[in-house]
Amino acid sequence: MIRKDAVHTVCNFIKNDIIVSANGFISRDLYSNFEKSTNFYMIGSMGLASSIGLGIALKKPKKRIFVFDGDGNILMNLGSLVTIGSLKPKNLIHIIFDNNIHESTGGQPTYSNKIDISKIAKMTNYTIFSIKTQKALQNTLQKISKINGPILIHIKIKKGTEKGSRVDITPEKIKSRFMNAIE
Amino acid sequence: MNEITQRKIFNYLLKNKIENFVGVPDSTLKHFIHEGLKQKKILIANREEEAIGIGTGMVLADSPTLIFMQNAGFANSISTITSLVQLYNIPMIFLIGWRGFLKNDAPEHTTIGRIQPKLLKNLELENKILDEKTWKKDCDWALSKIKNKTHVALVIRREFLD
Repeated sequence: MIRKDAVHTVCNFIKNDIIVSANGFISRDLYSNFEKSTNFYMIGSMGLASSIGLGIALKKPKKRIFVFDGDGNILMNLGSLVTIGSLKPKNLIHIIFDNNIHESTGGQPTYSNKIDISKIAKMTNYTIFSIKTQKALQNTLQKISKINGPILIHIKIKKGTEKGSRVDITPEKIKSRFMNAIE
Repeated sequence: MNEITQRKIFNYLLKNKIENFVGVPDSTLKHFIHEGLKQKKILIANREEEAIGIGTGMVLADSPTLIFMQNAGFANSISTITSLVQLYNIPMIFLIGWRGFLKNDAPEHTTIGRIQPKLLKNLELENKILDEKTWKKDCDWALSKIKNKTHVALVIRREFLD
């Protein structure tokens, strides 16, 4: 499964829930496949998608918050797992699309195949799902509505050459329409 | 800044609808932070960038937020300020402890203390230095700035050695 297919499968399930998506190709894939005003596209500040998602989750406890993260992104802010696992937001679903590379910068390796990100998350109080196939991903998405967060869905994806188009909404506009949409 | 004023500043900002105080501790700000901990209003992050990320999420959920940090953490935060807070124009107040304000402060405080005013200026981050006499006026200034949807910094000097 390549990232685009994984993003597509997750988005089919999500409908109008809030998504905070990490900078780089993840936001571009989301924008190309599933553009909506309840998406907060990051175009900078790598590593912080899960922190932003946590802030929203704490303040909007009745809404489900999905974080679309990458392996390079979460490895840059691993302490975020500790904070999320300590505060235990029930409404936070953290999805890591793990292709073991920094794809947006040219495919340089990360360490995500040397260690197990899921195990780290498990140690920090997440309920974890490790996924390799479309079918497993679909089955997991069916299950999660009955489980309290924080939930981590760790999806191993293949390196892909396809990428979505650049997010061409201004950052100010991404913010203002997002804030209006989640009120 | 003395303990009583720091506690007053916390309570004044809380009364004026700052709902979240997120950050990384600083001895310069310890009475402010302690007052917040006593009232269960403080969220401690592991790093300052993380604190700004969490605070940004809270602001996106329409909940006014202050981020507190040492100036070492302010230096850590520069990229997050430019590529998140300024890029999206996220209204929030930064409260920064000015370690290295005294010339004979600890060695790890001196360089950052010397360049802090220049860093704030180069970042184009509007800021005021709080003191015992004028803090209320400067807090009002910061509160009005975030109401008008922009971000500012308030600075508290480290006026002691330990």
